[in-house]
Amino acid sequence: MAFALLVNGVQYSVDAEPDTPLLWVLRDSIGLTGTKYGCGIGQCGACTVLIDGMAVRSCFLQASRAIGRKVTTIEGLSADGSHPVQLAWKEFDVPQCGYCQSGQILAAVALLEKQANPSDADIDAQMTNACRCGTYHRIRQAIHRAAALRG
Amino acid sequence: MSEKKPQQPEGKTAPENTTDMDRREFLATTAAVGGAVVLGFWLPPSAEAASVPVAAQPWYREAMVPEINAWITIAPDDTVTIRVGQTELGTGVFTVNPMMVAEELQCDWKKVRAEYASANRDVKEKAPEWTLKVPGSGETDPGGAAPVELSGANGVYRRMIIHSSGNVRESRYYLQQAGAEARERLLLAAATEWGVPVSELVAKDSVITHARSKRRTTYGAIAAKAARTPLPDPSKIKIKTPDKYTLLGTEQKSLDVPLKVTGEAVYGIDVRLPGMLYAAARACPVWGGDIKTYDFDRIKNMPGVHSVVRLPFDALTKSVGFLCGGVAVVADSWWRAKTALDALPIEWDYGPSASVNSASLYEDHMAAAKGPGEAKTNEGNVDVAMSRAAKMVEAVYSVPFSPRARMEPGNATVLVTDSRVDIWSGDQDPQGLLRRAAKLTSIAPENVHIHSTFQGGGYGSNGNGPQGEQAVAVANAVRGRPVKMLWTREEDWGTGTKYRPMSVCLFKAGLDAEGWPIAIEVRHSTTWNLGDMGHRGLSAPPYFVPNYRLTLHAPKTHVPIGTRRGTGAAPNGFYMESFIDELANAAGKDPYLYRRELIARNPAEPKLGIGGFAHRDDFLKALDMAARMSGWGTPLPEGWARGIAIDDRRRPTRTTSTICAQVHTVEVTKRGQLKLHRVDVVFEQGFALMNPLSVRKQIEGQIAWGYDDTMYQATTLQDGRAVERNFDKFPVSRMNEYPKQVNIAFLKTNRWITGAGEEAIPQVPPAILNAVFKITGKRFRSIPLKNHDLTWG
Repeated sequence: MAFALLVNGVQYSVDAEPDTPLLWVLRDSIGLTGTKYGCGIGQCGACTVLIDGMAVRSCFLQASRAIGRKVTTIEGLSADGSHPVQLAWKEFDVPQCGYCQSGQILAAVALLEKQANPSDADIDAQMTNACRCGTYHRIRQAIHRAAALRG
Repeated sequence: MSEKKPQQPEGKTAPENTTDMDRREFLATTAAVGGAVVLGFWLPPSAEAASVPVAAQPWYREAMVPEINAWITIAPDDTVTIRVGQTELGTGVFTVNPMMVAEELQCDWKKVRAEYASANRDVKEKAPEWTLKVPGSGETDPGGAAPVELSGANGVYRRMIIHSSGNVRESRYYLQQAGAEARERLLLAAATEWGVPVSELVAKDSVITHARSKRRTTYGAIAAKAARTPLPDPSKIKIKTPDKYTLLGTEQKSLDVPLKVTGEAVYGIDVRLPGMLYAAARACPVWGGDIKTYDFDRIKNMPGVHSVVRLPFDALTKSVGFLCGGVAVVADSWWRAKTALDALPIEWDYGPSASVNSASLYEDHMAAAKGPGEAKTNEGNVDVAMSRAAKMVEAVYSVPFSPRARMEPGNATVLVTDSRVDIWSGDQDPQGLLRRAAKLTSIAPENVHIHSTFQGGGYGSNGNGPQGEQAVAVANAVRGRPVKMLWTREEDWGTGTKYRPMSVCLFKAGLDAEGWPIAIEVRHSTTWNLGDMGHRGLSAPPYFVPNYRLTLHAPKTHVPIGTRRGTGAAPNGFYMESFIDELANAAGKDPYLYRRELIARNPAEPKLGIGGFAHRDDFLKALDMAARMSGWGTPLPEGWARGIAIDDRRRPTRTTSTICAQVHTVEVTKRGQLKLHRVDVVFEQGFALMNPLSVRKQIEGQIAWGYDDTMYQATTLQDGRAVERNFDKFPVSRMNEYPKQVNIAFLKTNRWITGAGEEAIPQVPPAILNAVFKITGKRFRSIPLKNHDLTWG
């Protein structure tokens, strides 16, 4: 059954069961593989995308729930890696294996939309994605830097 | 599965000429893999830009520009592409390996690109003669190398497996040689062209100049000629000593990071090929078990279902690393494959281990530890000395099973035809995967191609278990179609991975009247029977004890055991560094000064056995630095304390080490909430760290790794199987738990270190628990702490 999804400003016609998790529609139907599969139960955050600007775990959300809403994945953040959060991530050389970083970056983008200049406590409360390489130290620094870059 | 014929899948086994994809198109596609383009990939605009130092699809490509040697190609515009043998799983090899080559090549670092080497080429091509001899005289020679373990790795790319913090330790010398060999050939080609002595030429930043004649050329301009110019005697190649480094030793950002902030970096899970099928697999939840029956008819009409493939547990599959038998459902999307697999009725044969649980295994370990063992160290006369002790201290320590738990679930994409195997995968051992794929398919190793991708964490020498091998078995059953096999998280942690084993360590110490140990007996029961995992760090402690005995005891287990980040040094360090703290407390002495005294008691000239570690004075320096950095002894608020630990991941069979001392500043509330506030780390740098930024990142990450081991991570066995199979029951700490302050200082010493991928892990659990003891008065002798009551006061 086909349905339409608006992802990164592009309207896609998707042929999949509407109860397919959004993650798999993004990755396998549309081909946007920057969003990662980590747990499938909404725990680890590797699959984080933005829906109408809110950070959402796409492995746990039926694709049909995103119909008529604006979905943003890591690929839609900027054309060339120039979003302030991406620039800050590069400045602090944040990623190691990098697998969780699409989700971390989108969680940080959502945080900065809500709080332009977040405190450490805000970062602790809002950044709840898992990183097995333990890059938290640099993620924190990069979020502060991105806040400054956004001015 | 027979050894010769591929397993036939049950379901839509269309003859090859009627598969969804035209066979000729297919071969064209796979042939193009070695070139530049793979059809069907989503390529964002920036991936095509030449300025990106790493391609989103980072695998090996046949050179379209002059190749100087197997590691180096140089384009006319001076772009230097350096091939990396090891898999980038987050440890920085895609940056530091090119740095080691570029240091000698003296090329412009800004124009360096990295891509993977080829395991297939490694099978076909012998190692250059000049890489075979390790220069110098071991780890104390700045012009040499620490001992390497490359015997048998005689293909062109030598060591492609990545494990044991060994990338720099074992490949540095030949990567430097590769850069030097290419530089000398570029110089020789220019000298020949100009008719001047090569000794008068200077190479810097990819430019060759001849001062006397004011001539100048670039690497790009002379590369084609250099590619045809052999050195008269390559055995004369010398490598730079660290005092001559200009690039190595500087902080360089990771070449692959720009790709990892845009989602472009292709991991194994991201590979997409034309006509690709998807597979979801399920193996028997009890290791060693197999499938009894399954009913494909019940799912064959579900949407998108293509076929089902039986994954047998027989001599062949066992020989390539299968841990149990199972089944895979193949469909036109992974979600459909998984949905159908969930609906597939399966009856299992759990095998002989279905009644094993953690409690029964712990009892087995205790019984083994109390029984006879194999003596690894027996110095002095422990029994006589014990009988003279003024005070005895006894303790029982243990750790549970724990998986590597990387973020990317096991997967690989494989195409098997009758004459060739192509595997797209991030795997810590591409050479091994190649050999095993050849074995599974009966296709010659020369026709097996591994297209290495980025890997979403590794943390153990065979990555995530038989992910690639299982994918090959599935693709072998649907020859002619590429298949992406992907495990669910539950499959990955439940039956895919191998584990750090449970172990139990019994200590008994006899102290003299002043509280110094005169005898220690250690009885360690562990199934970690890989090399020296069971006794490294325990066989010769840095603390001088005149009478010391270590015995190893090996109970049986069906749980698959493998290397895991931190290796045997992690549990063994936890045991030793906690117990020495107990002794300090029993002696009524400060744990830092107690350690200091016992280290200082070692003879200056090391001897064999106890007191045999060569680095007494550097140990003292590291310990003093860490104490000073942390403000050891200065007041802290109520409920706060500092804990100290030191370890060098020493191995009895090797002389290399990496000394790391840490102080953890911890708070425990009276209600038992633990907060790690600050970590001070002193890390040995030896002669030089190749990329200090990468080492800092590794240490920062290891703090989180050790913290998670301390606080949360355990796999419980029930009915022979793993209970914790996803993040809900197997927690990983988040941002809010990472210490706000991590201070890292490097200690220069006069030798090459072991490595930096896991050397800061063993200290974390004991340092935290030593602080917890100071606060709560409770000595916890097992991890994780989630199982303990930390309340106090």
